[in-house]
Amino acid sequence: MATAKFEPVLTRNVGKPEALTLKGYRQLGGYEGLAKALTMEPDAVIDEVKKSGLRGRGGAGFSAGLKWSFIPKRKENEQDKPRYLVCNADESEPGTFKDRLLMENDPHQLIEGCAICCFAVSAATCYVYIRGEYTKSAVILERALKEAYDAGILGDNVLGSGFRLNLYVHRGAGAYICGEETGMLESLEGKRGQPRVKPPFPAIVGAFGAPTVINNVETLCNVPHILTRGADWFKSIGTDEKNTGPKLYAISGHVERPGTYEHPIGITFREMLDAAGGMWKGRQLKAFIPGGASAPILKPDQIDVKMDFDTVAKAGSMLGSAAVIVMDETTCMVRSVARLSKFFNHESCGQCTPCREGTNWMELVLDRLEHGEGTERDAQLLLSICKNIGGQSLCALGDAAIGPVKSLVDRFPEEIEQHVRHRACPFPRPRYFENGA
Amino acid sequence: MPKVTINDRTVEVEAGTNVIDAGLKAGVLVPHYCYHPRLTVVGQCRMCLVEITDNGKKMPKLQTACSSYVTKDGWSVRTDTPEVAEAQKGMMEFFLINHPLDCPICDQAGECGLQDYSFKHGVAFSRFQYEDKRTYPGRERIPLGANVVLNMNRCIQCTRCIRFTEEIAGTGELGFFNRGARVEIGTFPGKELSNPLATCVVDVCPVGALTSTRFRFAERVWYLDKKPSLCTGCEVGCNVTMEQRRGDIKRYKPRFNVEVNDYWMCDYGRSTFERYKKLPRLTSPRVRAEGGNGHAPVVNTGWSQALDAVHRRLAGTVPGEIAYLGSGFLTTEEAYLFSKLAGMGGPSHRAVTVDLGPEWTIPRHQRPPITGREAAPNRRGAELAGLAGGEGDLSADDLLHGDGAARCAVLVVCDSDFGQAAWDPEAVARLRQARFLVVFGWADSPLAQAADVALPVAHHGEKDGTFVNVEWRVQRFERAFAPTGQVRPALDVLSDLLGRFEAGWTQLSAATVFDRLAGELPAFSGLSWHRLPATGAALHVPEARPKLSDQAAETATEASA
Repeated sequence: MATAKFEPVLTRNVGKPEALTLKGYRQLGGYEGLAKALTMEPDAVIDEVKKSGLRGRGGAGFSAGLKWSFIPKRKENEQDKPRYLVCNADESEPGTFKDRLLMENDPHQLIEGCAICCFAVSAATCYVYIRGEYTKSAVILERALKEAYDAGILGDNVLGSGFRLNLYVHRGAGAYICGEETGMLESLEGKRGQPRVKPPFPAIVGAFGAPTVINNVETLCNVPHILTRGADWFKSIGTDEKNTGPKLYAISGHVERPGTYEHPIGITFREMLDAAGGMWKGRQLKAFIPGGASAPILKPDQIDVKMDFDTVAKAGSMLGSAAVIVMDETTCMVRSVARLSKFFNHESCGQCTPCREGTNWMELVLDRLEHGEGTERDAQLLLSICKNIGGQSLCALGDAAIGPVKSLVDRFPEEIEQHVRHRACPFPRPRYFENGA
Repeated sequence: MPKVTINDRTVEVEAGTNVIDAGLKAGVLVPHYCYHPRLTVVGQCRMCLVEITDNGKKMPKLQTACSSYVTKDGWSVRTDTPEVAEAQKGMMEFFLINHPLDCPICDQAGECGLQDYSFKHGVAFSRFQYEDKRTYPGRERIPLGANVVLNMNRCIQCTRCIRFTEEIAGTGELGFFNRGARVEIGTFPGKELSNPLATCVVDVCPVGALTSTRFRFAERVWYLDKKPSLCTGCEVGCNVTMEQRRGDIKRYKPRFNVEVNDYWMCDYGRSTFERYKKLPRLTSPRVRAEGGNGHAPVVNTGWSQALDAVHRRLAGTVPGEIAYLGSGFLTTEEAYLFSKLAGMGGPSHRAVTVDLGPEWTIPRHQRPPITGREAAPNRRGAELAGLAGGEGDLSADDLLHGDGAARCAVLVVCDSDFGQAAWDPEAVARLRQARFLVVFGWADSPLAQAADVALPVAHHGEKDGTFVNVEWRVQRFERAFAPTGQVRPALDVLSDLLGRFEAGWTQLSAATVFDRLAGELPAFSGLSWHRLPATGAALHVPEARPKLSDQAAETATEASA
């Protein structure tokens, strides 16, 4: 796996404005995957994706092919029973900005991925649920959609194969919780966006009560390439059997060149940091979050961690959406985590008790600590709140909210101590904090 | 049916039963707030976390009992492990950190889910010491509608009320607003909680967030004496708990009966007891002095003089000139004794009258909704017991709207509050045309004041009895408190009166009368007072609607769905 020679796959059309048009995308080799898929049996498509080892890029890292195979097979008398694909484009994890890149630069790639998936699970309807704030993505996608309909790639007769597919862009209203799959379905159905109790899982009872596949944008964008180049090619990229394919990493924070980078999955954090130009102004690395706001924070001693699902999990965090946030030595960890907690408190839907009350309480305690009003018992208190939320909330938001807090107490106890002992934050205070932000 | 073991107790449950219900069957209460057997399972209070072992394999996380359904053998559930206790403790802490803890001024105190589970599963101290509680300024007493008041500070966001309005009432006035810790319950803009079942949200609310306007600050609940009773608002016969203190009825709460009203009752029904407090009460027997052509003054007397006067008059009149006007408020037993009285020496005229009121409908589980239109609970029982008018009898219509009373030597009105006519001077004047007017009843209505003999009898909170509802289901209710003063239950009075005609009628209780009528009337055959099921019993009435067994009802609803 020679990373130096790695050719971008997902982002190969980024920076090529012609890819925005159907003609240009076709010239660049587009819709070949879909054409190939349509000649195959749907089950064979699922098998191919399963074989490739593609894991969901939204955060949980669940095998995409396996997820598709959970959709119950249609019985004889159920030919009309609908099933859906919902593409999760509600990218709202703080630090994540990879799907946006794909949608804004290569919309047809996503449409193709959606179409293949729909064919594989025999869904006639696909919704792309786009985050409310992503106006540009929505506009670009709508434009591409129109072209695809006009060219007969979508509609009643996909590429002349007789397969029927309608694809809709649905814009959310801007809530983090609508990125949770069942929260998204509720929102899609026009209800208040709050997660449902599981089971039943969406593969059985999903959108409008029908079996539904929900996949992230990046996951679906991988699918056309798997079909054109084959599962074996896909498997040749990555660390091992279980972590395969190219991966987008959104790196932000104290680095010289923040942005979205495509690497083979399993590149080390050190290599990634180098690719992004190293630490900002040559400062020291103090901490980094490997997978978006909900991932536990790692310390510099993990700098050589391979950024794939299993290795990061072993290191005590998670790859999540691969949104890497880098912090240098001037960062106050308590303040950072307090800010993250504020986010989770603000975005908790409020239906289940541990998340509603717990995230709020954590924010209050962390705020108190940051303002020098903490006590020696607060670290223990935070851990105890985390314990009462962890695994007991209705959806994964509760677990997400405790990730950073737990890692703060576990890995940076001396900083909490400093805050308590000095009765103030020992770090310089950025100006925006003064206005109560 | 699959077997499930809960805390070492094994029960067999229907496939698809959730662990909370299975627990109840096994005698284990899994604490819960948001789960209600008739509402969608949302699993959001997280209080019902339990440990489930599936055929020896422990599930990795604690599971919510409400959304875990027993579908096969081999589940073992524990609600008493340290892990579960820890989770419950944590959840109680979460519930209480932002709760105002204003139990001393809260109407729910004493029947509050937070108090109960706090005692059982919570801790006695707070770690929430330095922060400010979340409050909803200005939302402490929001009238959601005429009958329900919301105090948002006390709310635990279980959304039972929202689901009730959506799924049971079908009106959907309530919604969840805002997000996270700021989440609020409220009515949608331009709507108010004014559906006929609105106050049920107060019953389903496990805490003091929703309180009933009627009961707010009326009584501390631990002072209430509770007796199973029936609503008298209409012919549905909703099962209620009559809650009173020292003879002062404070409220009705619906009592679960799957065959009649399920868990619900209407707001109108909840208001019906107020009649007993608002209207003047007949407190002692009154007899009009002789002479004066019906305009002589009435004097309070003792029971024996009054009953002697009635007995003398009835015995001295040809039965064909006596008329009995029954009402839908009589218990079946009273109606039976009145009919015996009406048969003394020969048949008298009999009639039963009820008012028609607005329609009240109660939704039920797996059964069609039940609807009542007659504004009295027991027209059917009174008629079955022998007060139905026969061929050639004066009808209620003749008496109330015609000159039927003028043809009566004696008119016995069995209830001074049988309907609106008893309070209407014109109708009273028509009834007064009878040469001698006897009125039984609890209310000192214009009719009672016009009577030659007025006999104060107990209202339904003060006596035992049965009512037969719109679906011909006979249901029993119990005396909640004793009548005051000279008021006596009508059964006592009637057995005294009957005893003056022939022996064997004295000292009858509702139980003995019921058993006697069950032996005599085919509709009631095979029933006995003490063996009457808590859900009542369907009568054998040929014209009655067939009783829908669970099975038949299920197929019916499936077919219509």
